[in-house]
Amino acid sequence: MPDTSDALAAVADEALARRIASAPPGSTDAEEAELYRRFAPRVRLYGRRHLCDHAAADDLAQDVLLLTIERLHDGDVQRPEAIGSFILGTSRMMARGERRTTRRREAIAARFVDAGGQTASLPYAVLDAPRVAACLRALGERDRLVVLLTFYADRDAPRIAEDLAVSPGAVRAIRHRALERLRECVMGGARS
Amino acid sequence: MTLPRCERLSVDELTAYAAGELSAPEASALEDHLFSCADCGVRAAEVDALARAVRSAVRASAVGSFVTDDVLNQLARDGIRVRMFTLSPGAFVPCAVWDDDDLMGVRLRGDFSGAGEIMLLQRVGGTEVARERVPLPASPHGELLHVMPAAIVRQLPEVNIEISLSTTDAGVERTIGTYTLVHAGPMHR
Repeated sequence: MPDTSDALAAVADEALARRIASAPPGSTDAEEAELYRRFAPRVRLYGRRHLCDHAAADDLAQDVLLLTIERLHDGDVQRPEAIGSFILGTSRMMARGERRTTRRREAIAARFVDAGGQTASLPYAVLDAPRVAACLRALGERDRLVVLLTFYADRDAPRIAEDLAVSPGAVRAIRHRALERLRECVMGGARS
Repeated sequence: MTLPRCERLSVDELTAYAAGELSAPEASALEDHLFSCADCGVRAAEVDALARAVRSAVRASAVGSFVTDDVLNQLARDGIRVRMFTLSPGAFVPCAVWDDDDLMGVRLRGDFSGAGEIMLLQRVGGTEVARERVPLPASPHGELLHVMPAAIVRQLPEVNIEISLSTTDAGVERTIGTYTLVHAGPMHR
């Protein structure tokens, strides 16, 4: 019987990679979804850092994970115990080449993204949108502005510091406090 | 036995990384650890989820806020319709949002020279609804920008929305401007 998502969550990265590599394509959907759930957020952060574009970062995460799964099935991942390094290397290669294909995006979207909450066992993987909005409104004006500039307008601390006429260090302190409050508010709601 | 969880990468560090604030060697070292550490991967997922949720909330026009031109530009790129009104001190400006507007924004102009801390007082129909400290200095053009969900404005009856800005210069309170939006009620195309 296939593992439940809870049981798969306890499987180490290496074991997960070996399961995918040793089984025929089409028989490890749950394991592939778990690999995607674990690594897609990291690749998206990587993409945001290097591509400076949310849509491109989303595409990169889909492309990298699909290619990784293909390589696992093809026996091209020599060291499953270093699957994280493989995914990082693939992210670097694909970000450099900006190799994004419609076929890959459509395939991965159909397989994983549409599954939404089904592949998300962590409490914050899919956050309750009305609650996040309420938590944003509950922040102080300055805290909310720094969060918007950071996560929506993609501005770094020095740039935000210019807008607010404070030092970059002060922006980082405000951001730290604002994120603490936002996480507390959002996660508090997620737990209740 | 429970193994100690890795705490090497904090939410702050991951946020700074994603914002591009780390040097290339620092970012590379962080990536090497991040992609091999399950605990830090969970923290990265938290940052990623928060960032995506904030973007979704803003795109859903569910949050009002003081903003900068950077935020307005991003809203435009995302196709968010912002009905903007520009007001000078003493202005009475007719305002309304249409049913396809997402946000209503105001540009408040005035003499902000020497203004350290700016206080905002807002009244709707003569009733005070907000009194707060404005978190940012005026733009180089001498403006403050604020947006609010059009859905909230749309629910208002025909009423005046009055905004007053003031500051304190050398212990003496100075009014920067009083601005009145004359709301005409809901509008339909």
